[in-house]
Amino acid sequence: MTGVELDPVEIQVLQDLTILVFAPFVSGAIAHLGARLQGRRGPRVLQPYYDIAKLFRKETLVPEEASWVFLAGPVVAFACYLTVPLLIPVLTQYPLPLGYMGDILGGGFILSLAGFAVALAALESGDPYAQLGSSRAMTFGALIQPSILFVTFTVALVTATDLPYFEAAAVRSSLGQAIAPAHLLAAVAFFLVVLSDTGRIPVETHASTLEFGMIDEARTFEHSGPALALLKWGAAMKQLILYVILINVFAAPWGEAGSRQVGAVLLAIPAFIGKALGVGVIFAVIDNSFSKLRLFKITEFMAVAFLLAVLAVLVLFLGAR
Amino acid sequence: MAALGTSPSTLTDAADVIALLVLLSEFAMLRSSLSRSQVRLYGFQSLCVSVLAGFVAATQHIGELYGLMGLSFVLKVIVVPMVILRLVREVRVDVTASHRLGVATMVLLAIVLSVFGVFVVGRLPVHSHSLPILALGLAAAVILVAFLLVIVRNDVVSQAIGFFSLENGVSVASLVLAAGLPLIVEVAFLFDLLVAVVVFGLLMRVHQGRSRTLSTRALDRLRG
Amino acid sequence: MGAILVAILVAPFVVSLACLKVPLVVAKALSLVSGAASFGLAVALVPSHEVTTALSGWLRVDALSVVFLVAVTFLYAATAVFAVGYIQPGGGAAEVRYSRRFFAGLNLFAWAMAMTPIVNGLALLWVAVEVTTVVSALLVAIGDTDGAAEAAWKYVLIASMGLGIALLATMFMYYAGSTVLGGSYELFYSRLLGAAPRFPPEIVRLSFGLAVLGFGTKMGLVPVHTWLPDAHSEAPTPVSALLSGALLTVSFYAILRFYQVTVRAIGPAFPRDVLLVFGLASLVLAALYLASQRDLKRLLGYSSIEHMGILAIGMSFSAPIAIVGVLLHVLAHAAAKSTAFFGAGNVIRKFGTKDMDRIQGAVGALPLSGPMFLLAILALSAMPPFGIFRSEFLIVEGGLSTRATALSAVLIVLVTLAFFGLSWYASQTLLTPTSDSVAPGEVSPWMAGSMVLGLLALVVLGVHPPAQLSGLLERAAAELGARR
Repeated sequence: MTGVELDPVEIQVLQDLTILVFAPFVSGAIAHLGARLQGRRGPRVLQPYYDIAKLFRKETLVPEEASWVFLAGPVVAFACYLTVPLLIPVLTQYPLPLGYMGDILGGGFILSLAGFAVALAALESGDPYAQLGSSRAMTFGALIQPSILFVTFTVALVTATDLPYFEAAAVRSSLGQAIAPAHLLAAVAFFLVVLSDTGRIPVETHASTLEFGMIDEARTFEHSGPALALLKWGAAMKQLILYVILINVFAAPWGEAGSRQVGAVLLAIPAFIGKALGVGVIFAVIDNSFSKLRLFKITEFMAVAFLLAVLAVLVLFLGAR
Repeated sequence: MAALGTSPSTLTDAADVIALLVLLSEFAMLRSSLSRSQVRLYGFQSLCVSVLAGFVAATQHIGELYGLMGLSFVLKVIVVPMVILRLVREVRVDVTASHRLGVATMVLLAIVLSVFGVFVVGRLPVHSHSLPILALGLAAAVILVAFLLVIVRNDVVSQAIGFFSLENGVSVASLVLAAGLPLIVEVAFLFDLLVAVVVFGLLMRVHQGRSRTLSTRALDRLRG
Repeated sequence: MGAILVAILVAPFVVSLACLKVPLVVAKALSLVSGAASFGLAVALVPSHEVTTALSGWLRVDALSVVFLVAVTFLYAATAVFAVGYIQPGGGAAEVRYSRRFFAGLNLFAWAMAMTPIVNGLALLWVAVEVTTVVSALLVAIGDTDGAAEAAWKYVLIASMGLGIALLATMFMYYAGSTVLGGSYELFYSRLLGAAPRFPPEIVRLSFGLAVLGFGTKMGLVPVHTWLPDAHSEAPTPVSALLSGALLTVSFYAILRFYQVTVRAIGPAFPRDVLLVFGLASLVLAALYLASQRDLKRLLGYSSIEHMGILAIGMSFSAPIAIVGVLLHVLAHAAAKSTAFFGAGNVIRKFGTKDMDRIQGAVGALPLSGPMFLLAILALSAMPPFGIFRSEFLIVEGGLSTRATALSAVLIVLVTLAFFGLSWYASQTLLTPTSDSVAPGEVSPWMAGSMVLGLLALVVLGVHPPAQLSGLLERAAAELGARR
C-alpha cells in the first residue's frame, strides 16, 4: 500500500474540523434550497459564514440584570458541540481512540448539556420571549427523550453495545440488516427526533419571525455580537451532528474511510457532506410540504416518534425468540 | 439477542414489515380525525393483510389461500370501504370523527396495550411455519388497539371501522396460527364477515336516518 | 337419525324464506308447524344413546347437543305460538311488510340457534353463533324506534367484538390441535377431544380464557354484559324471549364445548377458576341491579344475567351432580324466562307501557296470563315445584359435595337477594288493585296460551323429569368430563 497513513488523533481532529467548518455551509445550502422551492432566490449558500463573521466583529451587549451565565452559556454550548464529534463516526468506519469514551447516551447527554446552557443563558436575559422559548425547548426536549432512549435500546439490542460505530457496522454487514424492521423503525423514529431537535416543520418554523410559535429560535433574542455568533454556529453544528448520527449510524453508513490512508480519509469528507446535503434536501422538502403543528399538537408528533421507537424494541423482543 | 450476522432471511423481514404496517395503520386510524381517511386507512390495512395471505400462500404452497386472498381483497379493500365512504358522503354532516381523549394520551394508551399484547404472545410456546411469531404479537396489538378505538371514539363510522380492523387483526393471527385451516371454514368466516358488514351498514343507515348524525353521543337513553 | 338433523337444518330456513312471500295467515301457520315439528324432532333425539352424524360429519349431535337443541326448539315452538297473537293482521302496507319481515326473521333466528348445537366442530360453531348475532341484531332493530336503533347498535357492536375474541380463541385451539394433529385438519369435536391430552397447556389456557370472554359477551356474563338489558328491553317481546331463553344458552353451549376440550387437556382447575370469577361477578351485579329497575323487560333481562351467572358457577363446581343441575337449569330457565317474557308481553300490550310505575294490578286486568306471569316470576325465583328449584338445588348440592361450602352459601344468599328484587317489583305491578279504567280481559288467546306451554314444562321438570330426560342429562354431564 502506498500513501501516508494518518495518526488516529489527527483523524479525530479532522472529524471535529469537518463539523466545525462545514456546519454553516450545510445550513446555508438548506436555507437556499428551501427558498428556491418556494420560488424565491433565497440567501447565498455561504451567507451563514458572512453572518457569523459579521457578528464576531460586533460588540457584545449584556442586559443589566444578567450575570456571567449569560455570556458563559454560548461558550459552554459551543464546547459541547465540539466534543460530540469525537464520539461518533463522521469520517471513519472504525472506532477512533476517543470513540470509546462515550456511547449514544453519552453523546445525548452532552447535547442536552448544550441545550441546558443555552436555556440558562436565555433565562438570564430576563426577556419574556427568550424565557418562553427556553421553557418550551426544555419541555419538548424532555418529551422527545423517551424516543431517544428507546432508539438507544434498539441499537443496544441489535449490537449488544450502544456504541454508534457498532450499529453502523451492523447495518453495513448485510442488506438484510439494513431493512430489518427494527432497524427501519429505529431509523424513522430517529429521523423524527432529528426533525424535532433541529427545529424543523412540523415542530417549529425554522426561519419564522413570529415569536409565539418559536421554540429554539426565541432563546437567542437578547444575545448579540460574538455570543450570538457562537449560538448560531453552535446551532448549525448541532444540526450537522444529528445528521451524522442519522446518516452514518442508521440510514447510509457507506462511504466513510475504511483505512487510515490520507486519501481515503480526505475523500470521506466530500462523501459525508454530499450525504448531509442529501438529507438536507429531504428536510427542505418536508419544510415546504407540511404546515407547522399547533403548539399543543406537538405532543402528537412526539407520540408518533415514541411509538415507532417502542415498536422497534418490541420487534426485537419477539424477533429474538 | 439477535447477534451480528445471524440476520434472518429477508423474506421474513419483509413479512414483518407488512405486519408492522398493519399495526401502524391501526394506530393511524386511532388518531385520524376524518372519517374518510379512517376508512381509507382501513382499506390500506386490509390490503396489507391480503398481501400477507398471499405471502403465506406462496411460501407455504397452500393454493387455497390464494382464493382467500382474492376474496378478502375484493371484500375488504374494495367493497367495504366503498360502502362506508358512500354512507359518509351521503350524510354530509360531522364527517370528523370524535375523540374522548387527547391524541397523545390515546397513542400512549395504545402503546401500553401493544406492549402488553406483544409480551403475552412472547410468553406463548407458539412456533409457526407460515409467518414469524412477531406477526402474532403485532396481531394481538392490533386487536387490543381496535378495542381502544371502539371505546374512545363516539361515532358509528369509527366504531364500525374498529370492529372491521379487529377482524383484520384476527385474520393476521389466523395466518400465523392456522394457515392450514380447511378452506370451507375460511370461506365460512369470510361469509360471516360479509353478513356482519351488511348488518353494520344497515344499522348505520338506521341510526343516521333516525338521528341525522353519525355520532353516538345521542345513544345514551338506555342505561341502568 | 341423521335425517332428523338435516330436517332441523332445512325446515326453519325454508319457512323463513317462504314467510317473505306468503300471506300472513300462511306465514303464521308455517311458523307454528315448523316450530312444533322442530321440537318434536329434537325430542325424538332424546332417547338416542349414540352420537348422530349427518352430511359426512359436518352435523353431529351428542347428548350435550340434544339438551340445547331441545331448549332452543321448545322456545321456537312456544314463541311461534306467542307471535301468532303478537302480530295482528290488517293494517297498511307498512304493517304487512313489518309482519313479513318479522316472521322471516323469527324463523331465521330460530334456525341459526338450532344450527349451533347441531354443527360439528369449533369453527362451524363460531360461524353459527355469529349468524345468530347478525340475525338477532336485525330483529332487535326491527321496531324502528330510537331505543331499538340504539340497542341494536350497541348489541351488534359489542357482540361482534366479543365474537372477534371468540374467533381468536378458536384459532388458538386450532393451533393447539395442529401441534398434535398436523397442519390441516377439521376442528371436529371427536378429533379434538381425542387429541386434547397432548395439547400444549398454555395455549389451551389462553384459548379457554378468550372463549369465555368472547362467547361470554353473547351469554351476558358480567362485565361484558352491557348490551343485554338494552337489547332485551327494546326488542319485540317474542324476540326478547328467544334472546334470553335460547340465544344466551346457545352461547353458553359454545363455552361448554371449549370447556370440554380444556378439561381433557389441562384438567378442571383452570376452567373452574375462570368460570367462577365471571359467574360470581354476574350474580352479584345482577342481584344488585334487579333491585332498581323501572322497565319490566329490563328487569327480566337482568334476571337472565343472574341465571347465566348461576350456570357459570354451577359449572365451576365441576361435580357431576352440579353439571346435571346446570344442564337442567338450561332447560328450566329457557321455559321460565320465555314464559315470563310472554307474560310481560301480555301486560305491556294491555297497559301500553313498559314502565312498571304505570302498570297497576295486572293480575286483575289479565285473568289468565296475569296469574301465569306471577307463577313464571316465582318459577324464576326458584320456587318449588318448578324446574328451576330442582336445578338450583342440584347445583348447590354439587357445590356442597365438592366442599365448596362457602361458595354455595354465597350462591344461596345472592339468589335470595335476586328473588327479593324480582318478586318485589313483580308484586308491585301484578298484585296491586286494578284501576277501573282498565277492563279485565285477555289480549289474545294465543299470547296467553303460549304461557301454558312453558309452565307445563316447568312443572314437569320440577316435579318429575321423565327418565329419558334424566338419562340424557347424565350422559351429557359425562360428556362434559364430570367425574363419576
